[in-house]
Amino acid sequence: MKFGLIDRVIELEPARRIVAVKAVSLSEEYLSEHFPTFPVLPGVFMLEAMVEAAGWLVRVAGDFDRSVILLASTRGVTYKRFVEPGHLLRVEVDCRRLAPEASEFAGACYCGDTEAVKGRFTLRHMNLADRSSALAATDRRIVDEARKRWALLYRIADDNQPS
Amino acid sequence: MRWIWIDKFTEFASRSHGTAVKNVTLAEEYLADHFPGYPVMPPCLVIEGMAQTAGILVGEARDFKENVILAKIRKAEFDDYAHPGDQLRYHAKIESIDESAAATAGEVFRNDEIIGRIDLIFSYVNRSNSVAGLPTHNFVFTDQFMRLFEDIRGETDGQGATP
Amino acid sequence: MTLDREQVFERVEEVLIDSLGVDTEDVTKDATLSGDLGAESIDFLDIVFRLEKAFSIKISKGELFPDDILNNPDNVENGRITPAGLEQFKRSMPHADFAEFEKDPSVAKVPDLFTVDTIVNYVQAKLAAA
Repeated sequence: MKFGLIDRVIELEPARRIVAVKAVSLSEEYLSEHFPTFPVLPGVFMLEAMVEAAGWLVRVAGDFDRSVILLASTRGVTYKRFVEPGHLLRVEVDCRRLAPEASEFAGACYCGDTEAVKGRFTLRHMNLADRSSALAATDRRIVDEARKRWALLYRIADDNQPS
Repeated sequence: MRWIWIDKFTEFASRSHGTAVKNVTLAEEYLADHFPGYPVMPPCLVIEGMAQTAGILVGEARDFKENVILAKIRKAEFDDYAHPGDQLRYHAKIESIDESAAATAGEVFRNDEIIGRIDLIFSYVNRSNSVAGLPTHNFVFTDQFMRLFEDIRGETDGQGATP
Repeated sequence: MTLDREQVFERVEEVLIDSLGVDTEDVTKDATLSGDLGAESIDFLDIVFRLEKAFSIKISKGELFPDDILNNPDNVENGRITPAGLEQFKRSMPHADFAEFEKDPSVAKVPDLFTVDTIVNYVQAKLAAA
């Protein structure tokens, strides 16, 4: 199973805003445990979707100059409704601050017109080579995979535009 | 992917505080993608570990009669991250609790070094405040969570820390 | 605990900044919690917990933010609060200012009753009664 909470990026204002989609499906194995009689997307995965969307904005803005991007902190992530399989979650994230090694975002996820979650968070970005030059090859590998994934997520070809 | 993010309780003081551990292993599939060549446990899943630790603490304080749901991440701060071979320890304490909600504060330790602080708010989704379409039965405290709780209760009689 | 209004306001401001992620400039005395400060229903519970801690007081359910009044059909008619409902609101919320609300007592305007001042009034009264 691939770990990635974003299925498609539908809008990108470089360094400012990104809008993406997470499709929620019963095929996702963990849903059988969350919860067995009431499958819903875990709240932390809604946060992960926002974190990943923000991560893509950072990667593209810096032309993939940092390999590892991780959640540094959150303040006030509020959950408002459950998101069930069969729904498409629209993930909207605005960048408040963008520096080479840190960034700040405010985001929300929507199920149709209803807000499912909103919150603010910060990310930290780094290269492993900063700690050890031997890890530069690992940075390149992570960036390669990221570029490939980005090409899948954000296809500008018209047959992939949402109607 | 399973949806259980703690392995065992090592301490459980009813209506007060508790500690659970989670071992991080390369056997966990999501690590292959996060990131290729540099496995690091996604911070969102660390938040979930704390949510499960604190959620069971709150659930038990309400005699497992409520569906205890993560409603808000008050704050989460990460100083560092976990990798395969690490043991995470989640220490949570109930700060406030009443008939609608509970607030918990917690620290995350990686092999005895503190790497994060996570404060959460849980609300109860039950028959009396159910929005149309929500289940009225108990769906949160599944067998796997109850087993973790029963294990520690068996060891400590639910009174306090293990000797 | 004896605090003057300014001191109460300062602590309430801190609670709102921490729970709602707003800035100091946003927390004016007339700012409405949901309209101006973006508070969701779970934030109201968060605020109650933080106020209890900040002022060492115990806030019973519905004491600061009455939540049952709208559920009673006698209190609401066609999206507006009935005179009976208005009475109940005033009894339950001596800490709120009804002057504006009375001019147009619609259900949609109920959230506007909950301002920063409403909280400060409540806390002051609670501390005085202790």
